[in-house]
This record gives sequence, C-alpha cells and structure tokens, in this order.
Amino acid sequence: MTAHILFAVQAVQALPAAQLDDGEVPGKGLSAIETLLLYVGAPALLFLVIALLAMAPSMTRGPRYRPGLGWWAAPVWFNGPDDADTAVRRATPTTDGGGSSARW
Amino acid sequence: MPAGEAFSERQNDDIVRAIRLAQQQSDLPVSVYVGTLEGDPRDEAMLLHGALGDQARESVLVAVDPGSRRLEIVTGPDVRRRLDDRSTGLAAMTMTSAFQAGDLSGGIANGIISLAEHAQAPRSLHTGPR
Repeated sequence: MTAHILFAVQAVQALPAAQLDDGEVPGKGLSAIETLLLYVGAPALLFLVIALLAMAPSMTRGPRYRPGLGWWAAPVWFNGPDDADTAVRRATPTTDGGGSSARW
Repeated sequence: MPAGEAFSERQNDDIVRAIRLAQQQSDLPVSVYVGTLEGDPRDEAMLLHGALGDQARESVLVAVDPGSRRLEIVTGPDVRRRLDDRSTGLAAMTMTSAFQAGDLSGGIANGIISLAEHAQAPRSLHTGPR
C-alpha cells in the first residue's frame, strides 16, 4: 500500500512542472494572506453561517420543555376561575368525582 | 432555567381552540392547569377542581405538572356519567405519550379533543332536531 502511494507521489513529482503546455499562461501566485483567506477563512465563514442557520429556529423560540430538565414557567390556568388564588383558598376539594392519574 | 412564558402564542391558541371545540361539540367544560402540584398531586388537583366553583360538578380539570411529570384528570360527579374513568385514562395516555416527546401543548390539545370525543352525548333519535 505504502509502496503504491510512494510510487504515485514520485510519478507526479517527475512531471515537468517548469515546462508549460501550449497556450498555458500562469497567473500571479497567491500571497500567504490570500491563501489563508481562501482556504481557511472562507470555509470557516461558511461553517459559521450554516451553524447559525441551524441554531436560529430554536434560539428564537426560547426555552423548550424537555422531560426531566425541570419546569421554569409560572403556572397557567386555561378556562380557570377569574381570581385563582382566592378561588383555591376557598375551594373544597372534589372528592366525589372521577378521573385518572398518569406519569411520564 | 430562566422564568418565562409556559407557551408561545401559537401553542396558547392551540389549547384555547381545543377547549372551545370541546365546549361546542360535546358541551364539555374543560379547564387546564399547567404548573406545580404541591403536596399530593391528586389531592392538589381535586382542590383545583373544587376551585372551579359552580361549574365544577360538570367540568373536567386537566392538571399537568411538567416538573415532576405528573398528569391528573379530575371529572366532576355530573360529568363522570358520560366521561368514565376509562375514557379519561385513554386521554391521559394520549397526553403523556406526547409529553414524553417534549410536546406539552400538542399533548394537551389532543388530550382535550380525545376527552371531548368520548364525552359526546349519544345522539338521540326521538327528541327534536339534531
């Protein structure tokens, strides 16, 4: 395996790099800074943009309920009594009703 | 965890819509409490149900405690005749399976709809227009 790779590298190096093909006009080389920008800066920027796009929806939605991680919000009561605190203080528990309990 | 609203506006609307649907289709008043149930969850839920006052007898209370992962459904003595404990148990299963996946509002809304479907009064064939 290593022998194959070595052979391939030597074969490429043996190519006459200095000799130009017909019609080949080499441009200006890249400076060190340009090389860095092109091969490190641009991919990094792209990475950041994609990461941001992926995280944006959950960031705008705010905290989300996850079982086992507790609960953070104030109590809400839909269709409940107008003055919940007073109503609960004065309430007598419904003992003759039915229903069911569950855990998750 | 920072304090904040339990539900987004859209999630709120989903729950409110399900409650309205239960009222319209099955004449079933549903009340939903989402918050901590202190002490014994069942006792606390029954107290909250009692706090519904005059309409408690014919109301259903769905009490969800996301922190300790408890769900209590309490039916008033009058509504219990058309919404038996087996039906509320089924609705509870609908809800908890959604809660497990982290979907609080969706589970609540679907559970209410399940309750409403089970509470549908049997259609009478001989008492006036349907």
